[in-house]
Amino acid sequence: MGRMRHLLFWLHTFFHSWRYICTEEFLALLLALFVFMMPVSATTRFETRGLFMQTTDPGATTSYTITMKFMSPQQVGSVDLLFCNDPIPYMPCVVPTGLDVSQATLTSQSGETGFSIYSKTQNHIILTRTPASPTFPSESSYTLSGIKNPTDTSQAFSIRMKSLTSIDGTGPLVDFGSVRGQVQAGIEIQTQVPPMLIFCAAQHVDDNCAGTDETYYRDMGTLSPTDTLTAQSQMAVGTNASQGFVVTANGPPMAAGTSVINSPTLPTPSEPGTNQFGINLVENTVPQVGGDPEGTWANAVPSADYAQANKYKFVSGDVVAYSPNVSLMRKFTVSYILNSNKDLRAGVYTTTITLIASGRF
Amino acid sequence: MKRVKSLLLAAFAVVLSVSYVLPAAVASAESNTSSAALSIAPKKNYVIDPGKSVQDKLTITNLDQTSPLNLTLRVVDFSYTGNGGTPKLMLDPNATPTTWSLRSDLKVPETVTVDPGKTKQVSIDVSIPAGHGAGSYYSAIVYSSGSGQGGNVGLNASGVTLVFVNVPGKVKEDLTFTHLGAYDRSEQGAISGYRYFMAQMPDSIAYTLKNSGNVIEAPAGSITLRDIFGRTTTINDINPTGSLALIGQERTFTSCIKLKTEDVKLSGTSTKSTTCDAPGLWPGYYSVSADLFYGQNGNLTQEITKTGGFWYLPWWFVVTMIVVLSVAGFYGWRAYNKLRNKFYGPRVAKTKSARRK
Repeated sequence: MGRMRHLLFWLHTFFHSWRYICTEEFLALLLALFVFMMPVSATTRFETRGLFMQTTDPGATTSYTITMKFMSPQQVGSVDLLFCNDPIPYMPCVVPTGLDVSQATLTSQSGETGFSIYSKTQNHIILTRTPASPTFPSESSYTLSGIKNPTDTSQAFSIRMKSLTSIDGTGPLVDFGSVRGQVQAGIEIQTQVPPMLIFCAAQHVDDNCAGTDETYYRDMGTLSPTDTLTAQSQMAVGTNASQGFVVTANGPPMAAGTSVINSPTLPTPSEPGTNQFGINLVENTVPQVGGDPEGTWANAVPSADYAQANKYKFVSGDVVAYSPNVSLMRKFTVSYILNSNKDLRAGVYTTTITLIASGRF
Repeated sequence: MKRVKSLLLAAFAVVLSVSYVLPAAVASAESNTSSAALSIAPKKNYVIDPGKSVQDKLTITNLDQTSPLNLTLRVVDFSYTGNGGTPKLMLDPNATPTTWSLRSDLKVPETVTVDPGKTKQVSIDVSIPAGHGAGSYYSAIVYSSGSGQGGNVGLNASGVTLVFVNVPGKVKEDLTFTHLGAYDRSEQGAISGYRYFMAQMPDSIAYTLKNSGNVIEAPAGSITLRDIFGRTTTINDINPTGSLALIGQERTFTSCIKLKTEDVKLSGTSTKSTTCDAPGLWPGYYSVSADLFYGQNGNLTQEITKTGGFWYLPWWFVVTMIVVLSVAGFYGWRAYNKLRNKFYGPRVAKTKSARRK
């Protein structure tokens, strides 16, 4: 019992003293770490980094000019250049497809000079010189000729750069940083399947757009303040483009001369007796019209505002369906509803809805 | 005789009427038997020096096997809709050209007819005038089928090719981070899609960049997630689809924490589709740090970083924690009282006289 009491007393006194450590001393330690550590990490990065590729054609043999500013006063004996897809130094290095720097030669240098090539492989070059302190601040550039460009135009690549005290790319690091480049063709040469966007619209369309009923208009009947007029059309869309697609609905409000039937700007239930023209892309029961999207590919979906059963809206230019990435063919049914007030001026009310399918960027 | 004359006149009138009416009906039918099923390239990219031009081909396929595809082509400008990758087309023919417009530099034929089930290649010409400043220029080619007239609701189907031209040289590049964190992808790039607390396991991380330069940007880099035990998950490819931040746009990029790639077939061709897979995160707090690089050829490579965080707290975890903490609290309190009573004796209520002392 006495031992237990002693233990409790000891714990109390121990944590009581920690109370102070956790406040003033701990804060002071944190501040000291900020003050002393932040500049260390800041000064070890090259500044004013840049890459100029003489030719950006995929697979071409060209020269690269790398610029950088040495930021630390320590002696530099070598510069390590590692070519990877990812610019982050601690990430695994994936060699850019098609790149080859094994035949590179150092053709010019400025700023910190005296370098020659110590070693080179398919994606790695080490420049060496007699260790010397950089003239501070020292903006330098190095031109390497005989480099074969990567061939993948879809992603950027990077050169991870390090300066080191030793002459062979080993030992303590001085400065580091990455530069970024990307190959682009003047005209894209399609070595793979070219991106395509497939789209069709009519009153009825086949799933794969191989056929339509070639009906591009619909007479909805005679307006009545007690009934809702309905119509529907279909569209099918798909793309192999990695950014996906969007379909927008565009058109003026339904009108007869100067008399206009406006559309709800928010999803709204059908209200017979009010002037209302709206659309959606799902199956509805009030009134019974439309259908849910067809097709197993779930990437392509109606936009949230046009995906609510029994609620309709129409704002010209709105995205009504989209896919954020590759999407096989999917068929959408567009439902149209038309209500009218008893005081609506007589006339033939018409509109033309233009469904525009485009890629995303 | 009069009767014969009137019969002849009547017959002539009928023939005349039929000869007028029939071609009209046929013409009307012909105007409607047009295809509205097409396949086009969604995007074109070019690098063109000032004073030079590029001649290229647009491939247009009529997917309809029975009717010809009659298209009207025109070039319009576009900007962006919100924070996502949706182009905002400026369809008004009188719209003022944007500062990045290619309308006067991009030449396309006005009309194109493609036979049923056939593919046609159409020549286009992009010419960048001498002295044009370096940077990005873009417009869109709209292909209108122009088929729907009549009834109450007419229907037109149009396709769009986005055309981007990069004019090399010294450009103004300026990307800044505005947001970083877990994201609900159903929000399609809207800022409101960022979540600090998530009950469902997040499958993607998003970052929003403001592009204040005169060139479109596609950043590269990595994002690291770190849980409270220090375990890290790294997203190596933060822009796998090569998405772009247009000039002036505040663009949200979403990256899957765990990427799933599969081969899919579209129109007889195979392509790779990437989707987000369940990343298998444990409940708790995650810090997120992003390290991004951007820079055009011949310009400085710039690096920007940002940190953020989010809580992943599924309902089952919250309920379990409440139950566990309640039980622990209850038994802890009981144990404390037991020990206290053992060492110092039972609690005694202070009397009035004791309080006065």
